[in-house]
Amino acid sequence: MYCIETSDLSYQYSRQGNELHRVNLRVKEGSIYGFLGPNGAGKTTTLKLILGLLKKQQGQIKVFGEEFAPHRQPVLSKIGSLIESPSLYSQLTATENLSVWQKLYACPKARIQEVLELVGLGQTGTKKAGQFSLGMKQRLGIATALLHSPSVLVLDEPTNGLDPSGMVEMRELLKRLNKEHGITILISSHLLSEIEKLVTEVGIINHGKMLFEGSLGELMQRQQTAGGIRLDTSNNAEAVERLIAQGLDARQEQGKIVLPLLARSEIAQLNRALVQHQLDVYEISTVESDLESIFMTLTHP
Amino acid sequence: MTTFVASYQSEWLKTKRSLAAWLVVLGGFFIPFILFWARVLYPEKLKKAVLAPTYWEEVLSQSWQFMAILMLPMGLVLATSLLTQMEFRNNTWKQLHTTPQSYTTIFVAKLGVLLTMLVQFFILFNLGMYLSGILPPLVRGISLPKQAFPWEMYLKTSGHFWINCLPIVGFQYLVSLQFKNFLVPLGAGIGLLLASLIGLEWEHGHWLPYSYCSYYFFSLRGAKMGTLTVDAFSKWALGYFVGFTLLSYFFYILKKDKS
Repeated sequence: MYCIETSDLSYQYSRQGNELHRVNLRVKEGSIYGFLGPNGAGKTTTLKLILGLLKKQQGQIKVFGEEFAPHRQPVLSKIGSLIESPSLYSQLTATENLSVWQKLYACPKARIQEVLELVGLGQTGTKKAGQFSLGMKQRLGIATALLHSPSVLVLDEPTNGLDPSGMVEMRELLKRLNKEHGITILISSHLLSEIEKLVTEVGIINHGKMLFEGSLGELMQRQQTAGGIRLDTSNNAEAVERLIAQGLDARQEQGKIVLPLLARSEIAQLNRALVQHQLDVYEISTVESDLESIFMTLTHP
Repeated sequence: MTTFVASYQSEWLKTKRSLAAWLVVLGGFFIPFILFWARVLYPEKLKKAVLAPTYWEEVLSQSWQFMAILMLPMGLVLATSLLTQMEFRNNTWKQLHTTPQSYTTIFVAKLGVLLTMLVQFFILFNLGMYLSGILPPLVRGISLPKQAFPWEMYLKTSGHFWINCLPIVGFQYLVSLQFKNFLVPLGAGIGLLLASLIGLEWEHGHWLPYSYCSYYFFSLRGAKMGTLTVDAFSKWALGYFVGFTLLSYFFYILKKDKS
């Protein structure tokens, strides 16, 4: 079952151009869904539409199998969110900030201390939220999202502004929440490296269009197929002609010859053939494209 | 789902240590504090004043003289804008709008807190007026005023001022909900207040929504303000308040981006 499902979701801020174009996004129950895309790709707009912060124009949004708009309140009672920077009342303490939301969600008061301990802010006492570091603010934002024990967490770039150790801590916390509490997480980021160790499902968006959606395994599969072989010879132009004549998909790129992945025996055979034609081979190497380069290829074709 | 009471409590909690909350407390006691010292520092005048049968009426009139025309409207412009803009300043609209409550509940709870704070201000101001009248004779060892404290008159006057300043609350609420920049509601408020003060002697001055506190104050002093009665000013004020509030509600509900 999908926790969150959008069908042909389109949105435009102004008459010029679409911000989102027929976005289909499916977040499986119990998964950690990484929603990736460069800045301005349409991630935040999509998440705002899912949470009802933007008025839907076209398409369908279902949360827990129900249409969002007519069931807005019951649906929102099961979602915790952190969109962009955390929402905090700067003149209030961490406990007072959470009290503001505790009253609205009508959850037990004891939850306030529980979530503060969970995010490591249990000892902030009378310190006002305005005096918190960026990392502490971000953690208080997560605590707010977790306060009412939601089934789904929607987090928009929650690691923005965090230092590397803060990022690791956040990742561990989210993993724990998913494993131990069974919370489904939809997390957006513009850095694949930041969330590739966390997510089970991935959606990639750019210019308002979904470019890929699937498991991390499927994306890794692309990694393998996207790999290739790089060659450098004494005459690359002639070498390319000879390789094409042998039925290989060879081309020149940045002064080197690029070929699709081949078996080891085929590489040896190819080398022999080039040498037989008086072409000196200076380099044969395999090119493994990492997730980051797949991401770049998808978002910058 | 969130009840109105829970929403109101949540909104009330947000006012804790806020600038608007301080403004209510300081604004309520500021003029009484000055008048207290004015009476303590001039004991001869005070001696004569406490013997007069209209001592408490004088205290009331002196206090409202400074409050009604400028301080109350200005304080309201500031406090309403500060309180409403708190969500913009703290980047919290998006969080508030993803809580399981209707937009109507949010709108009414916020307005309810504003009106409660206005009541709070009037209570503090009345308490301040009483203390500024009763404490100076005690400090100076002068006999206390013969006249009993006219609670009813004080409350009635405050009730009228409360109604007459509602258009200011309504309009400031409307503008503050729509514009992120604090200078917009502030500028609009100051502009309308100045326009209302300039237009006081205009035959249609009562069309100006920020003018009713001044009109009511001058009518208390016995001045005739055109052809309208005190009750008519209050009706205009209530009409404007209802109009601004409805307009504000529709703009708020229809806002496309609630983040």
